[in-house]
Amino acid sequence: MLKNYISIMRGAALAALLLCGASLTAQTTASGVINGTLINKNGISIVFNTDPAGVTLGASGTAAASVNFGTISAFGPLSAGVSRPSMLATTFTVRTIFDVQVIQGGLTSTTYNLSANLAAVAPTGFSYRVDAVNLTTVAQTVQTNAPYTSNVPHNLDLTVLRAAPGAGGPAVGTPITATINFTATAN
Amino acid sequence: MTSFDAMNCNFNFGGTKALLMLSCTLCLLAVSAGAQTSSGQLSITMNVQSSITLVFQNNPSVGTTGFCPLTNAGTNNVGLDLGTAAFPGSFHTSTCVNYTHLTGAVYEVSSAFDVVVSKANSSSPNYRLAAQISTPPPANVTWLLNNVTLTTAGFTTLDAADTYATPITKTLQVQVKNTVAAQTLLETITFLATAN
Repeated sequence: MLKNYISIMRGAALAALLLCGASLTAQTTASGVINGTLINKNGISIVFNTDPAGVTLGASGTAAASVNFGTISAFGPLSAGVSRPSMLATTFTVRTIFDVQVIQGGLTSTTYNLSANLAAVAPTGFSYRVDAVNLTTVAQTVQTNAPYTSNVPHNLDLTVLRAAPGAGGPAVGTPITATINFTATAN
Repeated sequence: MTSFDAMNCNFNFGGTKALLMLSCTLCLLAVSAGAQTSSGQLSITMNVQSSITLVFQNNPSVGTTGFCPLTNAGTNNVGLDLGTAAFPGSFHTSTCVNYTHLTGAVYEVSSAFDVVVSKANSSSPNYRLAAQISTPPPANVTWLLNNVTLTTAGFTTLDAADTYATPITKTLQVQVKNTVAAQTLLETITFLATAN
């Protein structure tokens, strides 16, 4: 009887040791998971770049660039990157070229439309044109189905009345500024 | 409702289920239909300056006696060929020049052309016109414009108040005495228009 008891106790002790060993082995490993999340938004962005044939833009490569035509006149010399494509009896036109680059992400769109408008009414004696579009304060389409990622050159024309200041012509000898708003819309 | 039901949108709110699903669909459509746009601004600066320009043009009578054609007419850099001339026998090869013996020892060859000065962005009412020759002519040779002798000493005023955008006819005259040796007489005549 005692013999049997001792045998049972030995077996129990051995089992306890085995279980303990198994338990120790399980505590040396751990596992976990990370539930990663990324919200990939779609969108497009527009920047203005200097065109090799045009005026060097201020803040080129941004969405808020500037063009300085310098001193312009009907018959005098013009700044680098500025040309005078038209000389008529009552007006002359000066031109520069700038590039528009629109990039997109997360869209199935392959092209975009570009529109433009003057931020304010044109100064006296001036009219503005982008490519073939005469600008007003109302947005107008300048280009349809333009490709993304490419530098798309656009002509910026300023047509100036030749009349004297006070007779319909622009102010002379003072800086004149204007702002053109551009909007690219994904197709 | 189990989480599986939720993941599969198996909401069951009785009669409102269909309406809820429709609303969800419309919202998704509205979001996808909103066109993606991007805006930018281009600021422009310029400074307008008054300016005038001068060009030479053929006179409407070009080709007739006294009105030879200009080369490169319509620009501010033209040529005027008066041909070959000599005192004896009133010799001259050009059919368009006006050849005259002024005295018993001097002949004159002349031809007329037009000067047009235009302005822009200027309140100037008119302009003055002057000219000078580039090199001193040989002795006994005189270059004139409308009977005003030109020199190299400076610009000689031709007109005090010419009208813009109106052709002003000028006659170039070369007077040569018969003692002048045979040679090519060449001058560059610079015209200067100044806004009044």
